[in-house]
Amino acid sequence: MYGTKGKIDLAFEYQSQASILRPSIHSRRANLTVKFQDLYGFTVEGNVDDVNVLNEVREKVRQQGRVWWALEANKGVNWYLHTTIGQGSALTSSLKFSALANAITLKKLIRKGIPPVLRPKVWFSLSGAAKKKSTVPDSYYDDLTKAVEGKVTPATRQIDHDLPRTFPGHAWLDTPEGHAALRRVLVAYSFRDSEVGYCQGLNYVAALLLLVMKTEEDAFWMLAVLLENVLVNDCYTNNLSGCHVEQRVFKDLLTKKCPRIATHLEALEFDVSLVTTEWFLCLFSKSLPSETTLRVWDVIFYEGAKVIFNVALAIFKMKEDQLIITHHVGEVINVLHTTTHHLFDPDDLLTVAFNQIGSMTTNTISKQRKKQEPEVMKELDQRIRRLNSLKVDDK
Amino acid sequence: MATIGHNNLNAKLVLLGDMGAGKSSLVLRFVKGQFLEFQESTIGAAFFSQTLAVNDATVKFEIWDTAGQERYHSLAPMYYRGAAAAIIVYDITSSDSFSRAKKWVQELQKQGNPNMVMALTGNKADLEDKRKVTAEEARVYAEENGLFFMETSAKSAANVNEVFYEIAKRLPRAQPAQSPAGMVLVDRPAEGSSAASCCS
Repeated sequence: MYGTKGKIDLAFEYQSQASILRPSIHSRRANLTVKFQDLYGFTVEGNVDDVNVLNEVREKVRQQGRVWWALEANKGVNWYLHTTIGQGSALTSSLKFSALANAITLKKLIRKGIPPVLRPKVWFSLSGAAKKKSTVPDSYYDDLTKAVEGKVTPATRQIDHDLPRTFPGHAWLDTPEGHAALRRVLVAYSFRDSEVGYCQGLNYVAALLLLVMKTEEDAFWMLAVLLENVLVNDCYTNNLSGCHVEQRVFKDLLTKKCPRIATHLEALEFDVSLVTTEWFLCLFSKSLPSETTLRVWDVIFYEGAKVIFNVALAIFKMKEDQLIITHHVGEVINVLHTTTHHLFDPDDLLTVAFNQIGSMTTNTISKQRKKQEPEVMKELDQRIRRLNSLKVDDK
Repeated sequence: MATIGHNNLNAKLVLLGDMGAGKSSLVLRFVKGQFLEFQESTIGAAFFSQTLAVNDATVKFEIWDTAGQERYHSLAPMYYRGAAAAIIVYDITSSDSFSRAKKWVQELQKQGNPNMVMALTGNKADLEDKRKVTAEEARVYAEENGLFFMETSAKSAANVNEVFYEIAKRLPRAQPAQSPAGMVLVDRPAEGSSAASCCS
């Protein structure tokens, strides 16, 4: 019915909602809330301003596409693959220079966005997924899915439970085909890495990867490279220790980069992890509009996991004025939710993330992580011991 | 200023329980009066607020609806810290979810606020023919552990509001307003409920 390698029928991509996307003056006056489908098949509820912003974004995406085509015409189809300078290779200095120039161009270009049509190809090469896949036989994914078919584990039971609860109502994901494809990717991965198995949150990440990559196999490899190379270790394993570490690093960064906000939220006894945990585990897919999320992922796959910090800080930074006059937790959450849900223009967010946060290198973040790890491990260990002592008491 | 004769209480409430027990559905039913057959799985936690008038007091619940998968439990202290109330949810069609609920009760008894009002809720009561946990078994357990117990159905709405009302009624008694821990007396009018959001 639906081959594991088959192209997903992305009919929804072409269901343009032209009539709704051009609201009449009357609806503008009435400031109606409108529902429409975005580029990736998600139903979006927004006001007329949001719709106008989305139209502008579509136009910008088209322009950005033209920039990429022009570069391809100029530098060759796979020019962006030649951005690393071979070690000790016999490259002439002019070739080295062109590789460096390409790298600089590419970084800027990616921060401005990869056109949706090029995304599968560019992500697959630049993230390292292509390389990862090339180290195993071509039939790896097919063999794996066949080998695990019909097996029942705690992970597969949880996956089955979450399939209809992953972006319910989505035009393709919430269909029998969508569920089956997502299931195969998640189940296959749960067998590839039994330590991760299945962690809630990965359902949203894998779903979005499926929508972008169009084939299950490519989505699977993107998930693999993300968990095994791009993100920090143990974000999704047993007690989410990697995620705990990231949260602590983030809190320190917020204090450093947005001191006014940090001080105010501390006074309200608001722990930012209450909100940011989901951002880190779902990589914003549950909070930001789809194209904005994918623009963030464009940069994550090229520059690494530190980008999550830039973006999370930017969300706070953008709303500094509103956040520092909040009186209680509910208001803080309201400001953040309203902000993320209406960030239809990715550039609004990414400009702040990369121009107003100040530089953060992967190196400094790694040092911060190293610093926090022992503390997190101690805390998690203490908790486990407390809980175990409960069990003993019980007997 | 608080209106004369009115106590406006803010109470932090946390929902805990196995994945798929119906925590988010209970909250959605209580806060918005809605039910979705397939509710998005919660990651980390989700926040809601809802205000109830009970006797001469207004209780504004700040509700933390948490993720149910076991590995997320390491995050739970962040959500139940300072909570005035907890609803521990299990699914009456799953014995495993009842065992999980008992573990939550133990953890809260040891780690949580000693004055915390705790409710044990057997959800999906509409699925009588698939029942695995008897009401009697749960009631006995609840009595032994000082919880109050109700069976609910987020789907049919049965007993959902009642659980929250019962908690609201028990709150002031459990925690005198003068010595709040996780419960704050507000000296300004309660803000409009959860709907008050605006993007300016």
